[in-house]
Amino acid sequence: MQLEDIKKLANLARIDMSDQEMIDIAKDFDSILAYVGQVQEVSKINGGNSSDSSTLDHQLQNIMRDDVASNQSGQYTEKILRQAPATEDGFLKVKQIL
Amino acid sequence: MIDLKNLTISNTHSSLLNGDFTVTELIKEYLAVIAEKNSSINAYLEIYDDIFEQAKQAEEMFQNGTATLMTGIPVALKDNMLNEGHIASASSLVLKNHVATYDSFVVKQLKNQGAVFLGRTNMDEFAMGSSTETSAYGNTKNPLDESRVPGGSSGGSVAALAMNGTLVALGSDTGGSIRQPAAFCGLVGLKPTYGAVSRSGIISMGSSLDQVGPFGKNVTDTEILFKAINGYDEMDSTSVKLNDRADAKPLKKKIGVPKSFLQGGGMEPEILKNFEESCKKLENAGYEIIDISLPLIKYSLAVYYIISPAEVSSNLARYDGIRYGLHEEADKLFEVYTKSRGKGFGKEVRRRILLGTYILSHGYYDAYYNTAIKVRHAIKEELKTAFMEVDAIITPTSPFMPFKFGEKSDDPIGMYLSDLFSVPANIADIPAISIPSGKNSEGLPFGLHIMAPIFREDILFAIGKDFEKLV
Repeated sequence: MQLEDIKKLANLARIDMSDQEMIDIAKDFDSILAYVGQVQEVSKINGGNSSDSSTLDHQLQNIMRDDVASNQSGQYTEKILRQAPATEDGFLKVKQIL
Repeated sequence: MIDLKNLTISNTHSSLLNGDFTVTELIKEYLAVIAEKNSSINAYLEIYDDIFEQAKQAEEMFQNGTATLMTGIPVALKDNMLNEGHIASASSLVLKNHVATYDSFVVKQLKNQGAVFLGRTNMDEFAMGSSTETSAYGNTKNPLDESRVPGGSSGGSVAALAMNGTLVALGSDTGGSIRQPAAFCGLVGLKPTYGAVSRSGIISMGSSLDQVGPFGKNVTDTEILFKAINGYDEMDSTSVKLNDRADAKPLKKKIGVPKSFLQGGGMEPEILKNFEESCKKLENAGYEIIDISLPLIKYSLAVYYIISPAEVSSNLARYDGIRYGLHEEADKLFEVYTKSRGKGFGKEVRRRILLGTYILSHGYYDAYYNTAIKVRHAIKEELKTAFMEVDAIITPTSPFMPFKFGEKSDDPIGMYLSDLFSVPANIADIPAISIPSGKNSEGLPFGLHIMAPIFREDILFAIGKDFEKLV
């Protein structure tokens, strides 16, 4: 993997990193991806048996609840906003977006 | 003086009932040990400031007859479990000053039963590691040999227990983070069935793999703490209703050993030797040990290192420097994100987020993530079939002995191999336990790892109690 690829990933993941760290990560990725790439062998040894994703979903089901408020409006607002770095009039304050 | 080393939950409960000592007296003894040992071991990051109020409440429960087995029992909490009004940082800089705004399910359950939380314990940052060396708050030392790691990621919880700084502890296990440190410190650690214990209020790492579980000095303490936190919770949509869980059935007294998986390489010879001795002990105790073929299980670790970073990259997107956690000033919002996250996350966390981002990116998703999901399913089926013949499957807990600080820090694959034997249980959602199986010539502990079918923790406790008597 190249430095440019890692730069792109760091940008997508919104993480500021030094060039040196990205060079190190590129090196680590080659060995990690070679290792995890083993999973592709399984479909070979397991023939057509390694089930397509449609059969995987039969055990899974969505858990729903009624769309109703479980607490009073504002009940937790103060407690939660106390954790925020910057607030104004009960809102989170952010920097210029564009 | 209370003999802390020989305390169990049940003999402590009797002593509290009989008035041999009070909860406050008990807690003071533990605090004295912590004051003496924690500065060198670094098991606890913080001792809570409300311990004596908790102790008073527990004493009231004894006075008014509502005390349960867990009432007044000291518990250490891993730093990724929310305890309202207290810091929960996941041992990351990004959450350094984060105060929990609600109680996690496990904390709520134990508060209702009057347990006393002593403090929060050190861990690998966001539970990513096998040695507790990735914590932003320093290494935790193995109390059995301070030049070695306690294992991880729940290294602080296990070290707190191993130094007699608590009676039991809670950890979390995504790929082995309860069982491997239990093995490294000579204690018992259980990863329950996925869906047995609610994940509500646990700082997420890999949501399809994470599970909270207990540490104890013996199988019975571990079982009692498990039962105290086990239960259905509507706040966790993967929590399984009690009616939908498997019932206990009599054991066949047959245990499987996946020999070819063990011969796959990488295991230290003394570990294999100890494991073979454990098998003989179980045979002497009336268990039949048979060789079973599990051709896919060796792919569990590769599956894990695809699914877990993918889930990590998605779960950790919430740390944006806006709603809570570390905030770095910048002119533009985008830079607030990149700077807060760049400074807040440590090296291993940054590496795994990037790995997950790559795995989930267009063009690689099918080759990695989708394939891993299919292989995960095939591994689950393979184990399910194996359990039709045997009650349990055993392996060593870790392929290597407790290692020295720095020994594996620069070798990610070497470190990841710590989870070789423990990770299949997370991949297959099944429960697994690590139980001490003796010590080597240097006094370092071995661990026996037992896996059972989903919701059959009772099998682990039954075999574990039989095995414990033989070691």
